[in-house]
Amino acid sequence: MPIHEQSLIRPENLTTHEEKIIDGIDVSGHWSTFIESRVVTDYNEQMEDEIAALPGGEFIHRCWQCGSCTNSCTVNAVNPEFNPRFWIYLIRMGIESELIRDKDIIWQCVSCNKCTYACPRDVYPEGVMKATSHWLELKGHTPQSPSAIFDEVCTDQIVDTGKIEDGRTLRRFMQKTGQSLLQDWIVAMIKQLVSHLPVSLLAKMGLSTLIAPRTSGWSGARRALKRYIEEQQTEQQMAVNPVVAGEEKH
Amino acid sequence: MTNPILIAGGGPAGLAASHALSCLGFKSILVEKEDRLGGAPILSGYAKLVPSGEWARDAIGGMVERAMNDPLIDVRLNTTVTSFSGESGRFSAGLSDGSGADTGAAILCTGFTHFDPVNKPEWGFGTFEDVVTTTQVEQMISSGQGVRCPSDQRKPKRVAILLCVGSRDRQIGREWCSKICCTVSANIAMEIREELPDCHVYIYYMDIRTFGLYETKYYWKSQEEFKIKYIKARIAEVTSDGERLIVKGEDTLVKRPITIPFDMVVHAIGMDPNTDNRSISSVFGVTLEPNGYVDQLSVYGTVGATSRPGVFVAGSAKGPETIDDSIAQGHAAAVAALAAANPAAETA
Ligand SMILES: Cc1cc2nc3c(=O)[nH]c(=O)nc-3n(C[C@H](O)[C@H](O)[C@H](O)COP(=O)(O)OP(=O)(O)OC[C@H]3O[C@@H](n4cnc5c(N)ncnc54)[C@H](O)[C@@H]3O)c2cc1C
Ligand code: SF4
Ligand code: SF4
Ligand code: SF4
Repeated sequence: MPIHEQSLIRPENLTTHEEKIIDGIDVSGHWSTFIESRVVTDYNEQMEDEIAALPGGEFIHRCWQCGSCTNSCTVNAVNPEFNPRFWIYLIRMGIESELIRDKDIIWQCVSCNKCTYACPRDVYPEGVMKATSHWLELKGHTPQSPSAIFDEVCTDQIVDTGKIEDGRTLRRFMQKTGQSLLQDWIVAMIKQLVSHLPVSLLAKMGLSTLIAPRTSGWSGARRALKRYIEEQQTEQQMAVNPVVAGEEKH
Repeated sequence: MTNPILIAGGGPAGLAASHALSCLGFKSILVEKEDRLGGAPILSGYAKLVPSGEWARDAIGGMVERAMNDPLIDVRLNTTVTSFSGESGRFSAGLSDGSGADTGAAILCTGFTHFDPVNKPEWGFGTFEDVVTTTQVEQMISSGQGVRCPSDQRKPKRVAILLCVGSRDRQIGREWCSKICCTVSANIAMEIREELPDCHVYIYYMDIRTFGLYETKYYWKSQEEFKIKYIKARIAEVTSDGERLIVKGEDTLVKRPITIPFDMVVHAIGMDPNTDNRSISSVFGVTLEPNGYVDQLSVYGTVGATSRPGVFVAGSAKGPETIDDSIAQGHAAAVAALAAANPAAETA
């Protein structure tokens, strides 16, 4: 819902007291319902800097709130609560509590980049959505998103062997996300594969599932990749939580 | 040979008009009320100018020097025009120093007056020391002192610039847009960040009017390279918690009230009509437009014509104007004045 259509009074901001007297006046019961203040009393400048330091967030400070991203957004068309323009503003002003209210929908960005093509200021809102989801994870506000888990499963294999093996990817992903492999769609897919693929190809697939072949001479590449990933992770941790990350390093 | 042209006001417009005349070989009398030429950029000590980035003392100072050394320009400082009679081609002017002059035509380059923000008391100027104007910040920068809170000379960590102070406000009878203050504010914001990289600068706006090529050079650049934040809100009140200034208003984008602490608040003051305009109007016999600036007779005919034939106007005397446009209008008015003063030129 566009912010202008949202109710200013939220249920969680209403309080009543069973028994309360203020300055001699009885304010008990629902007749004296209190609305909590919505006043923003400070800006948190760090929040924008943190998200800008994560990949994709670099250009967030360019945003002038035109709304082109939200208007063009695939997910917004389905869920009006999905509002990149609004989140970018909250981040820029450091209104953290408001952003966290939407933590369970921000990661739903499908990376279609329609917003990127609509944005007149090259903010790359798609990147900002990615950086924001990442930030929410690093800060512990959200668990790792399924897409991040999927990325990790793929990356781990690449680093290890230089290859991605489909069967292993599927197994590990389902395991890490706590899902059974006996899904109807997986069973159907395997049946189709078995009945349609030539035997030689099936054999090859089966073999690679069992022995997980490596790219020859990969160990040098593996070391370099690992080092790079570690560097990046420390850098991002430092950006989001300089004190803790700094201590870990020592 | 025609009589010299009388030019009232030695700011950018008047300096340009007198220079244009002398380039064509004609004399002018440049009458300036203050003890120096240069107008607002020199008298108020502006820092780096929009859009050239040159220091005002170099850019406008150069124009002043050129005029002072020009034998065709008769500079009269500390002087005003007290009477002006006759008609186009043959006027006679009385000056406040007691002298008189025959002149073929006159150009009013008498400029503007800075809005005095004590007229908006709710924004704290005059009450809190750390509430300052754009001119004061220009002076802090141009003097080399740097941007400091006047109360204790500390370096501000957070600065708010309030736009449209004394402009676009019917409450105080000022409906015009002062045209340059958005761009000047973006420029000042960048200069603050350049000097104090740890200081965050917020600009509170109703609209951003960095017109034409100023858009990328000031608005975009201030966001993209200097991370200035723009917030759509007209501030309600500036108060203090005893330590810092508190800026109160409504953040219109999130529909929430804000009370944000700041170290320094800068008023982007507008360009009022010159407070002398009533007397200028009666001395020169020209009409003023409803806001109090000198009225222009025609926009597309003779550039700078006023209601009185032979008297012309250029620059911010006729409404908020930039330096470069004031200079262009000074040149244009010089040509128009020359034609009026020299009927031969008109018939030729
Ligand atoms: C804070 C601030 C920053 C600005 N920065 C920029 C900038 O960076 N770039 C830009 O393009 N513009 C800038 N401007 C606008 C700029 O100041 C004007 O465009 C410019 O000064 C107009 O020149 P002018 O000659 O018309 O008038 P003025 O500069 O006002 O000069 C008028 C002259 O006439 C004299 N005078 C007045 N009355 C009389 C009288 N009765 N008799 C004789 N003399 C008289 C005055 O003393 C003065 O010397 C800024 C304005 C403000 C408020
Ligand atoms: S990339 Fe994400 S934010 Fe951008 S339009 Fe697509 S779904 Fe919306
Ligand atoms: S389209 Fe770009 S500039 Fe406009 S609101 Fe979205 S991110 Fe900001
Ligand atoms: S130029 Fe900007 S700050 Fe100045 S009056 Fe116009 S809108 Fe307001």
